Amino acid sequence: MECEGEPNEDNAESSTAGPLQLWSQWQLLDSILPTGGFAHSFGLEAAMQSRLVVSSEDLKTYIIHTLENTGSLLLPFVYSATISPNTQSWHNLDKTLNATLTNEIARKASIAQGSALMRVAASVFTEIPCLKTMRAAALSGGVYFHHAPVFGLVCGLLGFDAETTQRAYMFITMRDVISAATRLNLVGPLGAAVLQHNVGPIAESLSIKWMNRGVEEACQTCPLLDTIQGCHGYLFSRLFCS
Amino acid sequence: MERGKVVVERVGGKSKVTRCFCKYPLKFIVPNKVGAAAAADAVWIYTITYGGGIVSGDSIAFDVTVGDGCTAVFTTQSSTKVYKSLGSKSSQQTLEASVGQDALLVVIPDPVTCFSTAKYSQIQNFKLASGSSLLLVDWITSGRHESGEKWAFSHFKTTNRILLDDNEPVFLDTMLLEQESNSSIADRLQDYQAIAMIVLWGPKLKPIQNQIQEDVKKLMSRQFRMPTIGSGFADSKLPKPSFLASCTTFGPQGTGVVIRIASTTTESVYKFLQHQLASMEAFLGASPYS
Repeated sequence: MECEGEPNEDNAESSTAGPLQLWSQWQLLDSILPTGGFAHSFGLEAAMQSRLVVSSEDLKTYIIHTLENTGSLLLPFVYSATISPNTQSWHNLDKTLNATLTNEIARKASIAQGSALMRVAASVFTEIPCLKTMRAAALSGGVYFHHAPVFGLVCGLLGFDAETTQRAYMFITMRDVISAATRLNLVGPLGAAVLQHNVGPIAESLSIKWMNRGVEEACQTCPLLDTIQGCHGYLFSRLFCS
Repeated sequence: MERGKVVVERVGGKSKVTRCFCKYPLKFIVPNKVGAAAAADAVWIYTITYGGGIVSGDSIAFDVTVGDGCTAVFTTQSSTKVYKSLGSKSSQQTLEASVGQDALLVVIPDPVTCFSTAKYSQIQNFKLASGSSLLLVDWITSGRHESGEKWAFSHFKTTNRILLDDNEPVFLDTMLLEQESNSSIADRLQDYQAIAMIVLWGPKLKPIQNQIQEDVKKLMSRQFRMPTIGSGFADSKLPKPSFLASCTTFGPQGTGVVIRIASTTTESVYKFLQHQLASMEAFLGASPYS
């Protein structure tokens, strides 16, 4: 059963679609949604153990570089998925991203998060029945369920506009790496909240810079990040999967 | 626009260059014999640029065909220098290679060195037939560090793509280093002066793949022994690693291995390459980077 979702296609009366969407948006961005994002540190644990990050300044810089690299490498996949939230497009993007994430650790993390998000979205957003059917069809094989395309797909089917979707992706990345920092004892909960607010404007400018691009433009801009994240398997003892 | 071309085919049971066409400013040099191991069947092709480097606005493109069962090695005589950009012009280099069945293509250049304000992009596409093997080294230094130029170029972009039969993509990688007003390239690379990527694919490289994975794991595990875990920042007086490397597999059944390196010196990368690729001498007649 094919599901052609167009952004902003309203399933309910247009007068209530707007505010209802907000509740879905907040739920999607809330850390309480069980998508397993907190198993991943985006290479921060390896960066910390290798002494690449040894101060709060280093931590802030690391977060900014992570956002920059997410913008340059992954936003194109979020964008392309959200403007064409259909099976064909999703499968192509998923395959392309699998070849683009050459780092096995990042690849596995993406698959774990994407699978969890698709499962949760299919169960939670029942007003979009094709989420369940697309998921079931994909589970029969050939689809990796990478995170960025799934995120774009779910947001697109929920009717969010492309800019909001891309900003949201940058937001959850920032949220998760800062959360990892608190669990690694690099910053306390209040300090983390202050840090998150300070990085906000930078995250916004990076979102603007990298949004609305096709996947042929996807690139890495912080090679150190990929190198250090790839070291996660060599860590003596670890809290995180990646 | 005409492109350069090199074709390597089996002639009389040995790999031979059967077509070699270069377009200015690129020049190919094919020595008769490389190395002492006479039993090895491999052709070595040196790519040289007139003037010793790539000048602002240069556009270089060439195609390589490695026939079934052949072995071809592409290398340079010295590091590829990319001179400063004049009038904001950028220069580029493209390579389109197809590697036949059971063939081996080895691309082992010296690093690219971009001078201050240079703008350069390169694209390398590899189409691999079944059973073929590829060894690719793609690396860059921070510039003329003796003159104090460290990551002072404007724009560097490198794209490497590996496609299998029927154009199935297995490796799509682009690295972009661009000077920004609020974030310089030097900020992103800290004290590291050389960035390298090594890709190993195919049956002929399996033994090296296994050895490299072991060696990198041993080398890096030493960097990560922390006395106390989860206790916040490490002592900032402790040194950062001068050589960072990670090694991971990619592609169906993990047929490919990619190693990424960041090093504070170019020499340590040369040493690493020399040591890890030494066993290639049996296939190539000479050891890479020796």
